[in-house]
Amino acid sequence: MSAATAGSPAMHATAPSALPLALVPASLFVLLVCNLIVVPLPWSVSWPWIPALDVHFALYVDGLSAQFLLLITGIGTLVAVYGAGYLAGDARRWRVFTLLLLFMLAMIGAVSSDHLLLLFVFWELTSVLSFLLVGFDHARESSRKAAQQALLITGTGGLFLLAGIILLAEIGGSYSLRQLIAAAPAMADDARLPAALTLLFLGAFSKSAQFPFHFWLPNAMAAPTPVSAYLHSATLVKLGIYLLARLDAAFSDLLFWEYSLVGIGTLTAVLAAVQTVRERDLKRILAWSTVATLGTLTMLVGLPGHGAALAVAALFFAHALYKAPLFFVAGNLDHGAGTRDIDRLTGMRRHLPWTAAAALLAALSMAGLPLSFGFVAKDAMTLAKVEAGVFALVSHATLFVGSVSVAVAAVAAIHIFWGRDNVGRDAHPHEAPVTMLLPPLLLVALAVLFGLQPTLVDPLLGAAAQAMAPGFDPLQVDLSYDAWPVAEASLATFGFGLLIYLGWDRLRALLDRARELDEIGPESWYWRKLKFVPKLAAWLTRRLQHGVLPGYLLTLAGAVTLALLAALLVGRPGLELPSAETLPLPVIGSALLIATGALAALLVRDHLVLLLVSGLVGYGSALLFLFTGAPDLAFTQFAVETVFVVVAATVLRRLRQLPPPLQVAVSEARWRPLALAVSIALGSVLSTLLLLAAALPFDPQLSDFFSAQSVPAAHGRNVVNVIIVDFRALDTLGEIAVVALALVAALPLLKLSRRRIS
Amino acid sequence: MSPRALLAEVLLRILHPVLLLASLWILLRGHNDPGGGFVGGLLAVAASAAMALTLTTAEARQRLPLPPPRLTALGVLIALLSGLPGVFAGQPFLTHLWVTVPLAVTELPLSTVMLFDLGVYLAVWGAVGGYCLSLLATVEEEQ
Repeated sequence: MSAATAGSPAMHATAPSALPLALVPASLFVLLVCNLIVVPLPWSVSWPWIPALDVHFALYVDGLSAQFLLLITGIGTLVAVYGAGYLAGDARRWRVFTLLLLFMLAMIGAVSSDHLLLLFVFWELTSVLSFLLVGFDHARESSRKAAQQALLITGTGGLFLLAGIILLAEIGGSYSLRQLIAAAPAMADDARLPAALTLLFLGAFSKSAQFPFHFWLPNAMAAPTPVSAYLHSATLVKLGIYLLARLDAAFSDLLFWEYSLVGIGTLTAVLAAVQTVRERDLKRILAWSTVATLGTLTMLVGLPGHGAALAVAALFFAHALYKAPLFFVAGNLDHGAGTRDIDRLTGMRRHLPWTAAAALLAALSMAGLPLSFGFVAKDAMTLAKVEAGVFALVSHATLFVGSVSVAVAAVAAIHIFWGRDNVGRDAHPHEAPVTMLLPPLLLVALAVLFGLQPTLVDPLLGAAAQAMAPGFDPLQVDLSYDAWPVAEASLATFGFGLLIYLGWDRLRALLDRARELDEIGPESWYWRKLKFVPKLAAWLTRRLQHGVLPGYLLTLAGAVTLALLAALLVGRPGLELPSAETLPLPVIGSALLIATGALAALLVRDHLVLLLVSGLVGYGSALLFLFTGAPDLAFTQFAVETVFVVVAATVLRRLRQLPPPLQVAVSEARWRPLALAVSIALGSVLSTLLLLAAALPFDPQLSDFFSAQSVPAAHGRNVVNVIIVDFRALDTLGEIAVVALALVAALPLLKLSRRRIS
Repeated sequence: MSPRALLAEVLLRILHPVLLLASLWILLRGHNDPGGGFVGGLLAVAASAAMALTLTTAEARQRLPLPPPRLTALGVLIALLSGLPGVFAGQPFLTHLWVTVPLAVTELPLSTVMLFDLGVYLAVWGAVGGYCLSLLATVEEEQ
C-alpha cells in the first residue's frame, strides 16, 4: 500500500505525528545498551508462574539474546521513526504503531525466555501480530489471503513446535533451555530425539520461511513497508533461526542435526535465489533474497565448528544492517515515484538523491564488497565453510546464492538509481521526508563504520558465538582476516553476480518459460488444500446443521445415550441396585406428579397443552426438591418453571395465529418412530445409571465440610447460597458470564425473527 | 395483546413495584435463609415478564433500570469487582471481606459477598429478562 495515496494532503497538515511513539523502543534500546556496558552477561531472572506445573516466567539473556535484543530495539526505533513518516496522515497509523510495539514486546520476550513454554507463548504472539500486520490493508483481498497464509503456516508450525518442545522436555527432563543444553549429551542416545528434533525443525522452518514453507514470506509483503522491514526481514523471520542457533550448543554434534539443517538451508537458499530473478517488484525481490539469506543462516547453524557460530552471528548482524535500509529504500521509491516495479524505475538518483546514497551503501554491504560489514560477514562465512569442510555441492550452491545477492544489490543500487532517466513528464518523483531518510542512512553508516572497524563489534559477535558454541573463546575473534580463500571466493561471487545482473532480463524470460513447474510446488499444494477446507465445512454443515429441530434433539439425545451406555459398560462391574426403602409420602406424591406430567405429554397432541403438562414435570421436580431438603433449589425451580411456561405459552399461542408458511414445524410424523426409540433408550440408560449411582455409599466429606465451615468461614447459615457466592464464587462468576453471553448470542437472532414475522 | 384486561393492568401497575421489592428482599435474605441472587433475579424477571404480558414489552422494558445488555454487563462487572478487595487485602481473588457497622441499637454486617450476590441478581435479571422480553417482542402484534 502507498501512504501517498492513503492520506490526503489536508490531513498531513493537521494530523498529529506518531513520531513520539518512537521514544518507546528508543528508550528500551538505550536502557539495554547501558545495561550491557555495566552489567556483565549472562543475566537471568525468574518468577514463578504456574509452579504446580513447573512453569516459570524465567528469562535468560546471553550473548545471542543480547544481539537479538539490540537488533529488535535498535531497528525497532528506526522502523518507528520511518513509519511515522511513511504513514503520516494515514488514519490507521495508530493501529500499526500499537501492533508494532506489541510485536516488539513479544519478540523481546521470545528471545529472552529460558523456559521453553514461555518462549512458545511469545512465539505464538508474534505469529498473531504478524497476521494482524500483514492483513493491515484488510479491504484488499490479496492482503487478507497473505495474512491468512502467514497465520496458517506459522500457526501450524507453532503446533509442531509445541509438540517438539513437550517431547524434548520429556526426554531431557526439563523445560529450561539451559538445563536442556546441559543435559544434551545424555539425550543423544534416546530413540525419540530425532522425532523431537523433526518437530522442532517444522516449527522453526515454518517461522523462518524454510523449504517447504518458504512461499509465505514474499506474499507477506502485502504489509506496509515499515512492517516488512521490521517483521519480515529483521526480526520475526529470524526467530526460527534463533531457536535453532540456541539449540545448536546442544545438538551440533549430531549428524542428523547437521545434515537436516545444511540440506534444507541450502535447498531453501538456492530455490529462493532462483525465485528472486523472476520478480519485478523490488519489495518481493528483497523478500526472496531474505529467504535466501535465511536459508544460508540455517545452513550455517547446521555446520559444525566455532567458525560457523561466528559466521551466523556476523551474518545476522550484517543482514539487519543492509536489508532493513533496502526495504526503506523500496518504501521511499513507492512513496516518491509511486511504483516498486524495477522495469519502470531507472535513473532515480536525480529525484531521490539521499535514498540513492542509502541504496548504494546498503548494496555495497549486501554484495559483500570490501569496506562494508557485509564483507566481514562474508569472510566469516567462507572461513566457516573451509573449517567445516562442506560438500562441494553446498559450496557451489552458496556461491550461486551469493552471486544472486550481488545481482540484487546491483539492481537495487545501479539499475534503479543510475540507469537512464526515462521518467515521463507526468510523473514527478520526489525525495522522501527526513524521517524516511534518517533511518536507512543511519543503518548504512553503521555498516560502513563496522566494515572499517570490525573490532567495534567483536565483543558482541564473540559473545553471541559463545552462546552457540560453548567452547568458543570470545577473545580470539578477529574479523579482519586476510586469508586467500576468502579473496578467491569473493572474486568468484562478484564476477558471477555481475553476469547475472547483466543477463537479468534474459534470465527472467528463461525462468518464466518454466512456469509449469510452479504447479507441483508447495505453494500450489497449499492453495489446493485450502480450497478443500470450505468444502469440508460445507459438507459438515449440511449434515449437522440441517435446520430441523427434532433432528437436532435426536442427534443430541442419541449422542448422550451412547456416551452414558459406554460409561455403564466400561464402569466398575461391582455396581449394585439400591436396597428398597420406604419413602415419605410427600416424596411419593411429587414423583407421581412428575410421572403424570410425563405420561400426559406423550398422549397430548395440542402444543399448548403439551407445554402445560410438561410444566407439571417441572413443578413436580420443584416439590421433590422442597421435600428432600433443598428449599433453595425448589424456589429457583418454581421461578424458572413459571416464567418459562408463561412466556413459551404466549409465544406458542401467537405462532398458531400466523399464516401457514410462517408456522414452524414443531414435529414431523417421519421422525416419530426414531424419536420413540431414542427416548426409550435414553430413559432406560439414565434410570439404570441413577439407580446404580444411588446404591454407592454416600461420601459425606464435602457436605460435612460446607456445613461446618459455612458460619465460621463465610458468616452465612444458608449453605447453598454460601457455596454459590463464597466458596465457589469463581464458578458462579463464570456462570453469570455465560448467561450474559447467551443473551448477546440470542438478541440478534430474536431481532431477525421479529422482522421475519412482522 | 388483543383484548385489554383492564383489571389485570391496574393490578399489575400496583404489583410490579411490590414484586421487585420482594425480589430484593429475597436477594438480601439469601445468605441465611432460602433465597439469593439467582432466585431474586428470577423473581424480578417474572415481574418484568408479567408486565410485558399484560401491557406491552416496551412498557416492561421502560421499567428496567437499564437496557438488558447493559444491566447484564453491569451485573457481571459488579460481581467481578467484588472479588478485588480480597486481592488488595493479600488474599486470593473473590475472597470476601466483612465489616460490622455499629448502629444505635444493633449492628449491621456488610460484606463484599452482598456486592457479589447483587451482581448475580442484576446479571440474571438483565439476561433472562432481556431474553424473555425480546422473545415476547417477536410475537407482539403491531401497535
